[in-house]
Amino acid sequence: MKDLRLERDVQTSTNKIEARKVQVYYGTNHALKDVDVDILDKTVTAFIGPSGCGKSTFLRCLNRMNDTVASARVEGIITLEGENIYDARVDPVQLRAKIGMVFQKPNPFPKSIYDNVAYGPKIHGLTRNKAELDEVVEGCLRKAALWNEVKDRLQSPGTGLSGGQQQRLCIARAIATSPEVLLMDEPCSALDPIATAQVEELIDELRSQFSVVIVTHSMQQAARVSQKTAFFHLGHLVEYGETGTIFTNPKDPRTESYITGRIG
Amino acid sequence: MNNRHIANVFDRDLEGVQALVLKMGGLVEAALSNAATALETRDEALADQVRNGDSAIDELEDLINTECVRVIALRAPTASDLRTVLTVMKISASLERCGDYAKNLAKRSMVLAQMHSIEGAAGSIRRMARPVGLMLKDALDAFIARDVDLATSVLQQDKEIDQMYTALFREFLTHMMEDPRNITACMHLHFIAKNIERVGDHATTIAEQVIYLATGSLPSSPRPKSESVIAGDR
Repeated sequence: MKDLRLERDVQTSTNKIEARKVQVYYGTNHALKDVDVDILDKTVTAFIGPSGCGKSTFLRCLNRMNDTVASARVEGIITLEGENIYDARVDPVQLRAKIGMVFQKPNPFPKSIYDNVAYGPKIHGLTRNKAELDEVVEGCLRKAALWNEVKDRLQSPGTGLSGGQQQRLCIARAIATSPEVLLMDEPCSALDPIATAQVEELIDELRSQFSVVIVTHSMQQAARVSQKTAFFHLGHLVEYGETGTIFTNPKDPRTESYITGRIG
Repeated sequence: MNNRHIANVFDRDLEGVQALVLKMGGLVEAALSNAATALETRDEALADQVRNGDSAIDELEDLINTECVRVIALRAPTASDLRTVLTVMKISASLERCGDYAKNLAKRSMVLAQMHSIEGAAGSIRRMARPVGLMLKDALDAFIARDVDLATSVLQQDKEIDQMYTALFREFLTHMMEDPRNITACMHLHFIAKNIERVGDHATTIAEQVIYLATGSLPSSPRPKSESVIAGDR
């Protein structure tokens, strides 16, 4: 018999991202306080916490999306494989090719299904010819479990797909630049349970190649897909640990209150 | 931590199953004590009452299981809520077994009532049944109060029960060696003593579950073992 504990075990102990003493201010609002966290490679890490707790803010720090918010100020150190991503020499656009992101609402470009996926590899010059690009597009659509549904209509607009298909298209687009980390901000909140299950299955497959960080309001989703869970509350990282432990025996009473649905 | 759920029905569901466990515990404690009294006083009517009462205990276990399955399916309990549901299911399974032992005691006491009595045996059995009943009560009180200290004391008490059982075993053996006509009655008495000792083990299991419920992990050190009745079993 297979040892279940080994099967669901985290397959690596390599840190992909290390964050130290991260502070985020929006104007005078101190939104994220002293966050220290190590995100493992080839692991799904879930961020949970009530609205306004800082989990999305922290996720957006990881690929410098907060740079686009004029009032936002980020302090502390965040490294991707030892390199400080806030270093002046780092080009945020190149960084975001390495750290892809999928958003809450499916947001395909108003282009064909094919072009949605081909866009990233094209602008980053990742392929040399059309044949290679075709291969990348097909590979990503297959990984996103969408290929069979769209292979006969690659030139139709991506916006014409169903919500679940659009979200999987966005995931295919996000992985087309071969990122090292995939950030997902509530990727299933606009999806029905079947599309959610497909995306969750996809996340589990992706973890063999990427480090996945997912923000979710659904604690059951965090429990289902992640190996590590971080609980944020009022801008603090309250507890970070193995998902099974967080959901059966959390150490901090605030975590317990939140995950059991009590007023914390 | 605030102890109330945002969803009040969740609290009502959890309190409901815990109340059923307490009700079940009350029935089991009474069955055990009545069965021991019936044995000592040769009261067949009381023994018969214990026999017939076991079905109510079994029905409560079924009801608790059904309710726990509902809570798991509908509320997806986590952390201490999950541990509460799991503990409730385990405690009710233990209590159901204790009920069976009490029923068995009652049945054997009806058989023994037809035989000539073994000097002092029924009194010894009752003296053993009493602290075991208290252990059960303490374990269930610890469950309601989430009291780790009380649960730990139950684990300690089990050692004394094991010693009482060993002493009884020797006593019955002596009676049997003295006069083979005592064998049938002593065998019944020995099964009774063994079953009461098993009730003590179940009380211990319940106490261990309470520690798991309160702390999230089972007690680390194995509970104290006294000398075994099996010669050379060390």
